[in-house]
Parts: sequence; C-alpha cells; structure tokens
Amino acid sequence: MPVLEPLVPKVLTVRRLPGADPALLRAYGADPERHRALGLVTVDQDDPTYVALDEATKHAAVDVVYARSFYAGSRHASGPLSGEILGVLAGEDPAEVDAGLDALLQTLAHDACFYAADAGGNIAVFPHVIASLGHYLSAQAGLVAGTPMAYLVAPPMEATIALDYALKAADVRLVKAFPPPTETNFAAAWLTGELHACEAAAMAFAEAVVDVARQPRER
Amino acid sequence: MSAPLSRTRDLVAALRRQLGEDDPQPPRAPLPPVPLPPERVFPSPRRRSRMAEAAAAHTTALVGIGHVGTRYATDVVLQFQAELAVAHGAVAAELPDGWAEARGYVPVRSRVAHHREFLLRPDLGRRLDEPSAARWSAECRKDVDVQPILADGLSAVATMGAGPELLDAFTRECERKGWSVGTPVCAKFARVWLQDEIGELARARVAVILLGERPGLGTGDGLSAYLVYGPKRGNTDGNRNMMSNIHARGTPPVDAARRLAVLVHLMLEQGTSGVSLDLAPRAAELGEAARGGYRAPQARSRLVEV
Repeated sequence: MPVLEPLVPKVLTVRRLPGADPALLRAYGADPERHRALGLVTVDQDDPTYVALDEATKHAAVDVVYARSFYAGSRHASGPLSGEILGVLAGEDPAEVDAGLDALLQTLAHDACFYAADAGGNIAVFPHVIASLGHYLSAQAGLVAGTPMAYLVAPPMEATIALDYALKAADVRLVKAFPPPTETNFAAAWLTGELHACEAAAMAFAEAVVDVARQPRER
Repeated sequence: MSAPLSRTRDLVAALRRQLGEDDPQPPRAPLPPVPLPPERVFPSPRRRSRMAEAAAAHTTALVGIGHVGTRYATDVVLQFQAELAVAHGAVAAELPDGWAEARGYVPVRSRVAHHREFLLRPDLGRRLDEPSAARWSAECRKDVDVQPILADGLSAVATMGAGPELLDAFTRECERKGWSVGTPVCAKFARVWLQDEIGELARARVAVILLGERPGLGTGDGLSAYLVYGPKRGNTDGNRNMMSNIHARGTPPVDAARRLAVLVHLMLEQGTSGVSLDLAPRAAELGEAARGGYRAPQARSRLVEV
C-alpha cells in the first residue's frame, strides 16, 4: 500500500428513532423539551466521525448529544456492528435529523478519513483540517463556531513527535491536547489559527508521522 | 444535499507527491447527484393563488405566503426578520435627555430609574417621581379644560417622529373650539396611567396622553392617544377612550387630532369618559372610525428586496 493512502471509514450502522422515549433521550444527553428524533451511527473510525457529526450541525437543525469512542478501538470491538464510536444526532424534526445524517454520511464517504502512514497500512494518521467549525466541535474546543481548526491524530509516539513539528510549522495555537492513552490508545491535538496556517500545520504533522514510521529508532 | 468537502484530501495528495510517491491516490468515489431544491409553491409575491390574494386583502397577517418544501421562502423570512428588527429597535429606543426642553415642553419622568426597569415594572411607569411632581405642580397651568401630554410609552421612535406634530395639531383643534389648554408636557418612561397624576395636578377636566404604542411587526412608529375625563389616580381602563395606529400608514396625525377633539367635546358635554361615554351624538363628526364594520387593512411596506 502506498504511503498516505486514504483509509476510508466504514459506516457499520445507521439507524433512526423518529420519536425516541424521553427517558432514552435524557440518558443520552438529549433534552426532551427540544429533541424528539434521534439519528444514530456506528463507524469503524472515531475521529472522522466526530468531524462528520460536527459537519451535520452545519447542515441541519440538529445537536450532537452523544459521541463516545470505544475502548481500544475497532480491532477490539464488542461486535461486528460496534466499530469504534457511537454518534447520536438529536433534533426536534425527524426531517432535520435525516438531513444531518446525509451530511454526516457524505463527510465520511468523501472527506474525513485516516491515512496510512506506512507501506503496510498499520500506522494511521488523521491530519484533518476543518475550514469552519460547526457548533458541536466549537463548543468542545471552546472556540467560536466558524473558526478553522486542525484535527490531528496519530499513535502515541508518532503524534507526540508530529505535534511538535506541527506547532513549529505555522502560526497556530494548541487548543487542546489529548495525550495517550485515550479510549482508542491514540493521541490527538486540536490546533487553531488562520485556515492556511492550520493546513500547513496539518501537513507538517502528516509528514512527521510518515518520518517516524520510516525511522522509528534514531539510535 | 452536498457537503462542501474540506481540502484535506487534496493537501494529503500533494504531500504524498512531495514525499516521492509517484502513483496517484485512488480516485475518489463519485459524489452522489445533488437533488434539486424543492419548488416554491407560490413562485413570487406578485403571483399568488387567487384564494391567497382574496384572504390577504382582508388582513395584514402573513397569509398566502407560500412555502418551499416544508419551510418559508427566503424573502418571507427576511421580511419577517426585518419587521421584527424594526419593532425591537423601537422598544429599545429611549427619549434622549434634553429632547423635551429643546421643544419647549415641561420635562417630567416617572418613578422608573432606567429603561430595563421601565419594561419590567409598569407600576413604576404610572407614577411621577417626586422632583417631577413638584416641578409640574409649580409650572403647570391649573384648572384647564384639556391637558395634553406627550410621552414615550413603548416607542420613543414614534414619539420623536410624529409626536410633536400630533400634539401641535391637537392643541390647535382644542384652541379653535375655545377650550383652555394646559402647559405642554413631555413624560419619559411613561405608561398610559401617568395621565391621571399629571392631569390631577393640573386640575384638568380632560387629560389626553399621546404616546408611542407597543410596536408590531414593521410598525415601530405608531402613536396611541388615551383620553380620560376627570383624571385622578385610581381611574381604570374602563374610564378611558383610546385611539391607536396614529401614523402615516394608519390614521395621519392631522385626522387623528380632529377626531380626538371630537372625543374631548363629547366628554366635556357628557361629563364622563370610557364605557359610559355615548359616541352617537357626534358619530358623523367622528367619521368612519365611529361606524365600525369593515376597514381595509394597512398596507405592509416591503423592507427587503430579494
């Protein structure tokens, strides 16, 4: 497999609950006063799904009420439909939830994905640039909706080395770092700045991950 | 629907070439065809269904506006937001200090301290504060037939707009009929019932307060007039007569002043006002307003062109 080949996420389940029970709504963080319909997905890649859920909030009147990664990632899933993440969109109107799911699925199919950082496809890197944050990730990051953000993920060593490269490559600011171990045992970081700076930082991150993959030991 | 894709895949492809990988990335899966947006049911505000036209002729309510899919059309939404903004702007406006003095009115104010309190505490807006009451007692002409009062009410925009014109026209009408008219006064942060205290201190037979009315969609410039015979604290709304929609698209101030003078005339003749006032003796002078029945709705002015 050539280096930096896209690893397209697999959507394992997409289900809808047009009129979910109020108790269920509350349990998953929704507000029965404002939300009635749910759209649920499981996917085998968590970070592209967080990006896709955020994308959905830009296209429809939906909120991301629940999104959690599963422990140790999709290779250790509880079942063939579990994947690595369960994401839940909630809205007042089932049609809005459908529109949100459309945006989410399109983002997963055509946009956000991990890339192989080595020829074997065993090391994955996620150097994604969001040009304009929706209201889900902007709230998580404490940024204003509409801000650009680089969403960077790689395994622990690769991510740590590459984050240093990314921060030095452009005029960006570290918004939030997720040092290992996370649920999936990856490490991640969110950077913000001007869009071109976020893009330069993300590409420096990807390049550094490839470099660590090529030369894991300096001595 | 089509999500605008981020540039990440193109950037990674460029990085891959830079790292010496000659073979291009696999072709992207083709985007699904984008479905056309839903049709607008009434394609333009100028081409509506006949039923919608007929219904809209009877009301200024938003009927026959059509829809696009399950939603309103963009021009309808923008017009609504613009009209709402006009109303918000009118409620938020304040009568500037010095405005009343500059026009030669005695400035008084209610017991309200600031604009937010004015909106939240109608009771405080119905009483004069102590310095104002003292000043008004000292400066006003006493024992008059009519005491006109200009006030901000819920739209200082309207008061500053047509307020002086209405006050002047009304004063002229009263003087022409030979009644004594009180000192012109302008009240800030005033509710309707403030006319009772102001009129009582002037020992007026009739008090008339002219004030900005609660703004509706697209009408932030409307004035109302409330008239009461024998103003005194404790009067209720049953003691008052009123006239609303005094603005260019409703009743113009000059016509309004004439009708208000007719109402005052009735009050002075009958010695009462409100529900017990009989409008019949001067119905002809009141004009169409007294007849009731169908009145053509006001035209909406378009604030947004799409």
